[in-house]
Amino acid sequence: MVQLVSDTWYLFNKYLRITLRMPMWALFTIIQPLIWLLIFGQLFKNMASLPGFPQGRYMDFFLPGAVIMTVLFGTSWSGVSLLREINFGTVEKMLVTPVSRVSIVMSRVIHTAVTVIIQCLIIMIIAIIFGASVSGIKGALLSLIIVFLLSLGFSGISNGLAMWLKREEPLVMLGNMMTLPLMFLSSAMVPKSFMPEWIRVITKINPIDYAVEAIRAFYSGGVSLQAILVGFLFLSLFAVTAISWATEMFMNQSE
Amino acid sequence: MIKTENLTKTFSSGTKAVDNLNINVEDGEIFGFLGPNGAGKSTTIKILTTLSRPTSGQAWVGGHNVLTEPVKVRCSIGYVAQETGIDYFLTGRENLVLQGRLYRMDGKAINRRVDELLELFSIKDNADQLVSTYSGGMRRKLDIATALIHNPRLIFLDEPTLGLDPHSRSQLWNYIRMLNSELKVTIFLTTHYLDEADKLSNRIGILHKGSIKIIDTPDKLKDSIRGDSVNLELKGSAKDKAISILKGDSKVKEILLENDHVRVYVNNGSEAIQWLMKLLNQNGIDVSSLSISRPSLDDVYLKYSGASFKEGDSAEGGEPWWAKWQKGGWGKNWKGGEDSNDKNEAVGWDQNWTKGEWEMEQDDKQEVTADKDKEDIKDKENKEEENTEEPWKKWQGTPEAAEWWSKQGKKEG
Repeated sequence: MVQLVSDTWYLFNKYLRITLRMPMWALFTIIQPLIWLLIFGQLFKNMASLPGFPQGRYMDFFLPGAVIMTVLFGTSWSGVSLLREINFGTVEKMLVTPVSRVSIVMSRVIHTAVTVIIQCLIIMIIAIIFGASVSGIKGALLSLIIVFLLSLGFSGISNGLAMWLKREEPLVMLGNMMTLPLMFLSSAMVPKSFMPEWIRVITKINPIDYAVEAIRAFYSGGVSLQAILVGFLFLSLFAVTAISWATEMFMNQSE
Repeated sequence: MIKTENLTKTFSSGTKAVDNLNINVEDGEIFGFLGPNGAGKSTTIKILTTLSRPTSGQAWVGGHNVLTEPVKVRCSIGYVAQETGIDYFLTGRENLVLQGRLYRMDGKAINRRVDELLELFSIKDNADQLVSTYSGGMRRKLDIATALIHNPRLIFLDEPTLGLDPHSRSQLWNYIRMLNSELKVTIFLTTHYLDEADKLSNRIGILHKGSIKIIDTPDKLKDSIRGDSVNLELKGSAKDKAISILKGDSKVKEILLENDHVRVYVNNGSEAIQWLMKLLNQNGIDVSSLSISRPSLDDVYLKYSGASFKEGDSAEGGEPWWAKWQKGGWGKNWKGGEDSNDKNEAVGWDQNWTKGEWEMEQDDKQEVTADKDKEDIKDKENKEEENTEEPWKKWQGTPEAAEWWSKQGKKEG
């Protein structure tokens, strides 16, 4: 167990170091939320005045959506880089050492989640500058924990799918295919009151919806503690299941 | 140091990549492991480095069983694969430190060892630059250095000089010799360069279709082919005719076919030219060119593997580039280059990644049906061989043998 943690730590360090050495990554990380907030914020501005739309400006409503979008786009690449490392021989080089096999997957998944958190922080700061109202620092921190759990889950799925598909192209295809439907089957972009009944049913099993609702609650402070707890529980379960599955897939392949 | 006992790896499709392999690598030697693409070299290495599990048979590496004590095996070996596997966006030093961490060494020991290795491989000046700025030769050196971080007594070098320029190659040879003679590291080397194997190895094993054909010192192997080889280049059907004529001649010791060339082994090359030319001319065969050579490891290799290294290249050379793809299925040659000839070689870990499993099975099925008749014959031969077992073979598998090996293990561990 101690070894699992230390192995994961050293590998995580490696990945983080490599990410931070890409200046373009940092640049795009800042530009991306700017573009989203500008375009989507302007495009959907008048939607907030439609009857039935929750109170407040669209920017307030949309901020959690932008955060979730960052999670989905940010995590779907995790598996691609795993395949790249395999083709490069890096994974094989790790496997001949006594390093814990689980830590190879864990470090990747945690690294992805941490990079997504950095991106989300930047989005939040920019959104506040643009005039989104945040109820407090506590809400922001709690919502980052939600982001972390959701990112762990989705990058776990991405790594597991990578082990299943074994090629980059279908993996990217599948990632793109899943992203938008998952977004629209939650209240990230459109409030629940605007949804047809069947979509509202689906949102109940969509981890993204739990994340969006929880984050929104932290900003507005309008949702019950119970709902937040259920959200945390559901997302933790999602993350654990996804990572276990990815690890299982990886171990099977590396036999 | 390495000992295998009837090691066999059969893939789910039924292809035997490694077939009853028995090798014994001594402590402190450089063992050259040769064989054509697809002979099962990589699969063997993957089993010995615990990356893949054998279907049957046993293997001990550094005194530990690869199946029951994989972690101990991993701690006692270093592995330098064909793909470098080092991180290009870390510095040389960071790569070494990380590797030390993965072997769970403590910080101080790592720093000491890293400085030692940087000095040893003279990469000290570039230690803090990103590996992406390194030359091919330097990357190789760093790769070998990372494999040595935990002071293993055995390292596997899988085609270490592939793609290096002549200068880097000879430099690397010196390092390999130094590792072996000064640091007493046992080296398990695979290579496609026969001169490399000849220069470096204490002993050479030639692998063909998953089993060892012969193991001996390079000199003895060369001695076993006495006399000279006369290399004849003949046009088209003349080859078969020439072979059938020469086969009957008592002065000809052996004939091997290598692409367009017919190799004729005789006692005295210069003398043989005269009567060879005469004999062939009498039968109306035109010889386009002719040369004599002293026996080299190439001849030994050809004799035992029944194939030339260049065979694959020239067979496919005249075809359009997509012909390979059509033959092998779409996913097969994604890597291109030399590895594209590999059928069995890339199987296991590598292949699982790079090809979908269904593709793999399809390829193998075709191969199996084509080879079925041959295999029947082979089976018969194998049975005959079993009857004439050497005494040490009988000893293997007995309780005494098991005890002896466990003692060996303790000594080495």
